[in-house]
Formats: sequence, structure tokens, C-alpha cells
Amino acid sequence: MNGLMLVARREITTQVRTKGFVIGLLVTAVLVAAVSFAPKVLGGDDSYTLGTVNSQQLPLQAAAPDTKFEWREFPDEGTATQAVLDGDVDAVLVNGAKVLTDGEIDGQLGVLLQSVNREVKLGAAGMSIPPLQMQSVGADTRYESARAGIAVVLVLVLFMLIMGQVMMVAMGVVEEKGSRIVEILLSTVRPWQLLGGKIVGLGALGLINLVTILVVGLGSAMASGIATDFPPGIPGLVAAVLVWFVLGYAFFAALAAAFGSLVSRQEEVGSVLTPLTMLIMITYFVAFYATNDATGTLATVVSYIPPFSSMVMPVRMAATEVPLWQVGASMAAMVLAVLAVLAFGAKIYERAVLRTGARLKLGDVLRTK
Amino acid sequence: MLEINELRKRFAGGSGASAGKIALDGISFTVRPGEMFGFVGANGAGKTTTMRIVMGVLQADSGSVTLRGAPLSPDDRRRFGYMPEERGLYQKMRVAEQIEYFGRLHGMSTTAVTKATDDLLEQLGLTERKNDAVQALSLGNQQRVQLAVALIHDPELLILDEPFSGLDPIAVDALATVLQERCRGGVPVIFSSHQLELVERLCDSVGIVSAGRMVAAGAVADLRAAERNELRVVVRNPAPGWADGLPGTVTVDGDRHTLRTTGGDDQEILRRAVKAGRVEHFGAEQPSLTEIFKEAVA
Repeated sequence: MNGLMLVARREITTQVRTKGFVIGLLVTAVLVAAVSFAPKVLGGDDSYTLGTVNSQQLPLQAAAPDTKFEWREFPDEGTATQAVLDGDVDAVLVNGAKVLTDGEIDGQLGVLLQSVNREVKLGAAGMSIPPLQMQSVGADTRYESARAGIAVVLVLVLFMLIMGQVMMVAMGVVEEKGSRIVEILLSTVRPWQLLGGKIVGLGALGLINLVTILVVGLGSAMASGIATDFPPGIPGLVAAVLVWFVLGYAFFAALAAAFGSLVSRQEEVGSVLTPLTMLIMITYFVAFYATNDATGTLATVVSYIPPFSSMVMPVRMAATEVPLWQVGASMAAMVLAVLAVLAFGAKIYERAVLRTGARLKLGDVLRTK
Repeated sequence: MLEINELRKRFAGGSGASAGKIALDGISFTVRPGEMFGFVGANGAGKTTTMRIVMGVLQADSGSVTLRGAPLSPDDRRRFGYMPEERGLYQKMRVAEQIEYFGRLHGMSTTAVTKATDDLLEQLGLTERKNDAVQALSLGNQQRVQLAVALIHDPELLILDEPFSGLDPIAVDALATVLQERCRGGVPVIFSSHQLELVERLCDSVGIVSAGRMVAAGAVADLRAAERNELRVVVRNPAPGWADGLPGTVTVDGDRHTLRTTGGDDQEILRRAVKAGRVEHFGAEQPSLTEIFKEAVA
């Protein structure tokens, strides 16, 4: 165990000290913060600048309390038209009878203007209409868009981190094999300690990255105010994401080490890992599809099947409410798969890592002892 | 005392150059405490495979490696120092950190490893480079770091595969001195080399391997004694046909005739030579290790 920890510590200290790691972490943090603030900055169109020519301002604010309206008055239709064309105002109400816009009017604004105008006119005629009562008889969909957004971001983060760390595992294995350091290492530690240390060390680095992303992301979301749109249960989701990252990473990293140990040169890493990177991509695509249809049959079924579950289950958890037993069952299946893959990966690694030279075939390695 | 007993190894089929090849065919030898053992043999004779098996990096198909009569355990091996044939270092790691890392893997404490690293760097003349990345070092210096990695934990036994290859004469001497010091301290040193003069100069014993077998092993002096010494006679301007009827061969270089023989009556040969001309040289030649080697693997 001591050997394993020493190996893990070397992985961490050498990586943490590289410029690449530090810059990568900073860039990630900035990007995540930017993404968290983006909805506020880009802001969609929840503020309109409107103008009047010889008209009363319409009480739009009462009808759309979340939207900001700014009013300006123009002396005549000519100046108002110019202002519309210059983009200074979104729309101008002329003589209480027509609306000037540059191109087709924004749909939401158009409906709002029409209905409020009708209401005002009817009110002036002494008629009032009680507003319609809105009542949902289905699931609570208030957080639907926030949930979908969170799921999309989460699955992207998981995918990028797992892919990155898994590549590092394979490259590290090949570095040691190709330079024959592995011979000295294996005269002092057992193969499983060397492999385990590498997977643990690089996994810890991945976790550092993930925690940074989560902390910065949630922090900026709170600072920017979009956190108020978040559904309840975020702490549970965060904890689950950490666990799913560890499981997914362990699964793919063990395979990456096994595949990596088949080759002796860094140039060959890409091609020998192709089946594995394909598998990670497919997992990502399935999970990405699930963000659109988190309650669908495909998402539900695949969220139990390792290794797809490592990304699909977090998506389901983010996008909808998933009963705890389902999460537990899916995790249990994934843990079993991870154990099997670790045993398999360690066996391949142990047999292949000292056989330098040409690329080995997986079948040959499995057959020979 | 390290005993290597009847090691056999056949590489498994499949792809690769070594597939299906018999690498070791029952190799045996013994290394005593404080002995410097030179391991010589043609490329592919089985030296590296033997060393890898001793280090536990490869498994033998049969045979045993024992230390003081007991089979080698992983703990024993952690007290050995090993320098593989193909040098392996983390290129981007700093010199001192790298040496310390291997010391820690050998089970040393942090304080002990720091002190031992400083001492070794001093001894190997690398103190100024301690914080440089290995890749910034010249090949000779990288080889010194490699040696430091093998020596950091004050090993009980040293196994060095071609430690002298690629070194300039000064570096060879420096490395030889370090090894001799360790050896005098009671540490057996096994090293392989193609530089036979060097092996002859440094080693107490040599083992000559050919095609996976130990074809000759023992003290260099004993191996020489086992060879029949060659008599060399040089006669200046002898009468023609002076050596007719004598055993051996005559080579002529100008007026200098050289007779080489391993048989015959040396006194009779001397009388004939004196009668034939001026004798410039008459003496038994000790075979060099190179000659013993060529003889043994032929």
C-alpha cells in the first residue's frame, strides 16, 4: 500500500507543478464563471425600450412583472421612425393606434402590447375581464429549463475530465514502459501498486479539477443570482456527481492502462486507445441525448448499464427526480463493473508492460502467461 | 552469496522478435560477497534475461535464484540496486527528486533519503545539477543519475546491465571507482559489458555466456590457466626453413619471423631458433580475456 501511495504522490506532485495543470485549472475556473454569468449578461430580451408619439404609456409592467420597460417620448413619427431604425428603441406606439418596429416585432412584446392595449381600451369602456387562473395538473415544471441546463453542463464536464485524465493514464503508462523505468519500478513495487498508484494519483487530480469547477460554478451562480432558479437538491446532486466521476474514471482508466501497456511509443497511444475513446464518446452522446429526454425509455434503461450509467445517471438526476433506490442500483452495477475492469486491466498491464517493442495484440497478451 | 541455478527461459510465442526463442538454457553461477562479477557474452546470449530474472522483472520457466541459501523474496530484491540495459528515468523530473523517489520506493525514510541523495550527488559530481530536469543533462550525466538511482538505498547487491556503454574514458574510470568502492565494502557487483579489457581489469570473476548457457566461469586467472599458454618466438633473419618440423605456425613480417605454438618441446624450439638467427623474443603469452572469450563461444 505504501508503494501505491508513493506512486500516487509522485503523479500528483509532478502534474500539479507543471504550467499546463495550473493554467488549465485557471482557464477552467474562468470559463465556468463566465458560463455562470452568461445568462445574466446576454440576458435574453427581458428588457425593452419603448417609445410613444402622441400616446399614453401602456401599463405593461403590471402584465409582465419580470420584464423591465423603459419609455421615451418622441415629438413626431419621423423622429420616432429614425430612432427605431437606429435601434435606439424596440418599438414605438403612435397615436395609440399603431406600433413601429424595425422588422417583425418580437413575438412576446407583440402579444403583450396587443393584450394590454385591448385591456386598457375595454377598461376605458367600463368593462373588466377577470384574468385567467393558471393551474398545472402535471409535474412541477418550474425548474425544467434550469435542470436541463445543469444536466448539459454536468455531462460535458464529466466527459471532458474523464477523457483528459484517462489519456493521461495511458500516456503515463507508455512513458514508463517506453523509457524502461518500469523495470526499475517493478524491481521495487508490485505491478498492481504501480498501476493503482497511477490511477489513484491522476484520479485525485481529476477530482481537484472537478471540485474547482463545482465550487466556482456554484459560487458564481450564487453571485450572479441565477442560483435562485436552481431546483432543490443541488448538494445531493453535487455529491452524486463526485461519486459518478470516480466510478466512471476508474472504469475507463483501468482500460486505458491496459491498452496503453500494449504499445511502447507515445505516437501509438492515440491509435491503441481508439476503441476506448470511442466508448467514452458513445457514453457522452447517449448521455447528451438523455439531457433532451431524461424521462424516456432509452435514458432510463441505459442509466443502469455500465459504463453508460456513469454519465447518463447523473444526467437523469440533474434533469428529473430519480428515486434513491434507482441511483443505488445503478451505482452498485457500476461498482461491480469497475472491479471487473480493474482486475482485467491489471492482468493485461502486468503481462504487457515489460514486453517492449512492437505493438502487442490484446489476444496474444491474454493467451500467453 | 548469490546463487543462480539452472535458469531456463523460453519466450512465449506471439509477436515480437523474442517470440518462441530459448533465451536461457540452464544457466548457473555464483557470486560471493565482495566479488566483482563480469558478465560477458555476445548480443542475445542471455545476459539481460538472466539479470531481469534475478531482479524479478521476468519469471524463469525453471531454475532458482537463492541468496544465502534461501529463494529471493521481493523484500530481498528491494535491497538490490539495479541498472537496466535501456536507461530509464523520468525525463521531466528533477535530478534530486528522482533519486529520492526511488529511495522512498526502496523503503527509505524521508530524512535518510535526503541525506543519501546529497551524498551521492556529491560523490558523482552532480550537486550543481540537482534541481535540473533530467532531460537537460548530457547523456553521461544522465547515466550518473541512473547509477545514483541504483545506489541510493545502499544496496546489498548491485546488478548493472552494460553500465559502461556509451561513457567516455574519464566517466568509465569514475564509474569503475565507485563500483570498486562498493565492492570493497562487501557488496557483490554483477555487471555485463562488451568491453572485455575493462572486465579483465575490474573483475575478480567472469562468466562467459553463449546461447543461454554459461560456457566458462571463474576467476580470470583460473580461466587463463585452463587455457594452454601459447609460446611465441621471434627470430630475426633466420635461415630459411628453420622451423620445418616444429609445431605451430610461422608468420613473416619483413625479416622478422614469429612462431606461435601451444605444443612441442619448448627447449628444442629455443635451440633451433638460436641456431637459425637472432632471437628477439621467447616467452609464453597469457591469453587475453578477448581470446578466452572467442575460444569459449566459438
